Amino acid sequence: MQNVIAFIEHKHGAIRRSSLEAATQARTLADQLGGKAHAVVAGAGAAQAAETLKKYPLDQIHVSDEDRFIDGAVDALESVAKAAGSALVLVGNTMIGRDVGSRFAARVDCGINADVVDFTTDGGAVSCVMPKLGGLVITTCKLTGSDFGVAAIRPNVFAAKETSGAGEIVQIPSSGKASSVTVEDEVEEAAAELGVEEASVVVSGGRGMGGPEPFTTILKDLADAFGGAVGASRAAVDAGWVSHGHQVGQTGKTISPQLYIAVGISGAIQHKVGMRTSETIIAINKDGGVPIGEFADLLVVGDAFAIVPELTKLVRDAKAAHA
Amino acid sequence: MRPEVGPLKILVTVKLVPDTNADKRIDPATKRLVRTGVETVLNPFDEYAIEAALQLKEKLNDGSTVTIVSMTSPSGKEIVRKALAMGADDAVMLCDDAVAGSDLWGTAVALAATIKTLDADLVITGTQSTDAISGDLPGMLAEKLGIPGLTYARKLDVADGRVRVERETETGYMTVSAALPALVSVTKSANEPRYPSLKGIMGAKKKEIKQLAVADLGLTVAVGTDGAKAQLTDLATPPARAKGQTIAAPDPAAGAAAIVQFLKERKFL
Ligand SMILES: Cc1cc2nc3c(=O)[nH]c(=O)nc-3n(C[C@H](O)[C@H](O)[C@H](O)COP(=O)(O)OP(=O)(O)OC[C@H]3O[C@@H](n4cnc5c(N)ncnc54)[C@H](O)[C@@H]3O)c2cc1C
Ligand SMILES: Cc1cc2nc3c(=O)[nH]c(=O)nc-3n(C[C@H](O)[C@H](O)[C@H](O)COP(=O)(O)OP(=O)(O)OC[C@H]3O[C@@H](n4cnc5c(N)ncnc54)[C@H](O)[C@@H]3O)c2cc1C
Repeated sequence: MQNVIAFIEHKHGAIRRSSLEAATQARTLADQLGGKAHAVVAGAGAAQAAETLKKYPLDQIHVSDEDRFIDGAVDALESVAKAAGSALVLVGNTMIGRDVGSRFAARVDCGINADVVDFTTDGGAVSCVMPKLGGLVITTCKLTGSDFGVAAIRPNVFAAKETSGAGEIVQIPSSGKASSVTVEDEVEEAAAELGVEEASVVVSGGRGMGGPEPFTTILKDLADAFGGAVGASRAAVDAGWVSHGHQVGQTGKTISPQLYIAVGISGAIQHKVGMRTSETIIAINKDGGVPIGEFADLLVVGDAFAIVPELTKLVRDAKAAHA
Repeated sequence: MRPEVGPLKILVTVKLVPDTNADKRIDPATKRLVRTGVETVLNPFDEYAIEAALQLKEKLNDGSTVTIVSMTSPSGKEIVRKALAMGADDAVMLCDDAVAGSDLWGTAVALAATIKTLDADLVITGTQSTDAISGDLPGMLAEKLGIPGLTYARKLDVADGRVRVERETETGYMTVSAALPALVSVTKSANEPRYPSLKGIMGAKKKEIKQLAVADLGLTVAVGTDGAKAQLTDLATPPARAKGQTIAAPDPAAGAAAIVQFLKERKFL
């Protein structure tokens, strides 16, 4: 493989952070492979997203105005990939990223690697490094048997860096195809907020929170002080205190933030597998003997309801002193 | 495929996975998951898919049927039977050494070929497995079957030859629909999977579990380890996370100050 194509996920032109990470990583890999770095952006608002992409180190930014859900993006990727001859496609490992990447891989009959945290290249060969089984093993998989390959990158692992890129904008001609899937409406239930997968700081609450309220007050305040997101254990989600999108763990999200703060969470194995690759883990728990103490970098033993608001205040002060 | 109205043939794809509570290992020699000595279970996510199919069948109440499809080893038969005990009508297993060690692409090709022999109106999958957790198979299957894929459904309904779902998004949901035949992947917020009843368990013993081999599918490409387009070349065990420090904080202000001190040392503040 020689060229690298970043698929850009966006909402009405506002690009998801993981896609900016893909765009930045596309350059790094294209340089190693001796090819070009492309971005493909499709749907309503694509032109606006393309303007943002000009700040990233891309050679070409391909814009498709077709608004066919998933399929429009797959068609656009296919045309750009085939014109490039050989290419690695990068998608974010998000719901939309997986849909687009998986369909592209099936369409062109190529390999796909999920939840990629690192790459190695050897000549034109690309291998992906992926933690599997909840981080128990680190696997390396080589993409082979095709001129193409797909890597779904774990959000928040690769850097997104603006540079003076000024990639050339290329319009993809419309196919005139009708969509096989009809989007009837779209409903926002929560304020658009940073998801736990993308936040660099995640403050999670567990059964020790005792009810829904802390998730919108003390935990949210601490997360906001860091510009981070609120996560949860399954016990909290099952109790109905917070929605499933916040759940971290085996049956929730697997995340790697720089800082993970577990509040009133015991650290069961099914929770651990979703967050053990966090860079730094802090736990606040009233019990000094909890399992999370075995793998957290810092366990503070005390009442979360007293400590967390105090901590939020100190964090805000420290941030203000730097601003 | 089939006419738009009339009973539906609903297919549910089911993966057999090592028990989530078991200690999972990969054999360094074969580079495959060690499945011996570990209890095998239905992928917990697929129980939501089975439940969704059964609820749809019950609601339609028009002779629609639910068929389980799994690519697994023949020893998985009794676990597949659990899906029949929940209420599915029959099952098809693709069992062949030629598919062992398949990557996602090979799995998608082989499963799609299996599904094509069954003439389905609606294919329902889980959103992910608990072992490989890629979440990529539903999209790949839809593409290989050449049908619309409505993924991440927390609600689904069929009327007038169309399937309509509520697709979960990060901030809410979208309502999307497509004409049958189509594929839907179902999330765990969709329902609460039933436990097999005693009657269901007894009844399942008489239900048919058909075994297919690759030769029955007319596949023209090699799948399995040799055909893999994502080839495992290395696996390593990361160092375990070391136990960090523990601080007793009977005084909350002191506890908070200790955390801030730690965050400063690590350059978070
Ligand atoms: C198949 C399967 C899949 C699962 N998937 C997941 C998953 O994805 N994610 C997940 O999280 N779990 C998952 N679980 C559940 C998991 O096994 C645990 O039950 C769950 O993580 C426990 O949540 P918890 O730590 O919030 O609750 P608990 O284990 O009850 O811990 C609550 C903690 O709060 C502390 N506490 C109480 N009050 C205070 C206070 N005032 N101040 C400070 N601390 C306090 C207690 O000391 C205790 O340690 C799964 C289980 C199974 C079987
Ligand atoms: C630890 C590990 C890591 C792996 N990593 C990769 C990788 O990076 N790239 C790669 O190409 N392959 C990989 N594989 C191989 C991969 O597991 C298989 O191809 C697998 O059958 C499909 O992937 P999945 O489990 O991730 O499916 P997912 O996409 O997570 O599963 C979604 C749904 O697909 C259905 N489904 C999945 N498998 C089957 C099946 N066998 N029979 C019936 N229905 C099924 C189920 O309904 C399931 O809910 C890995 C396998 C393991 C054990």
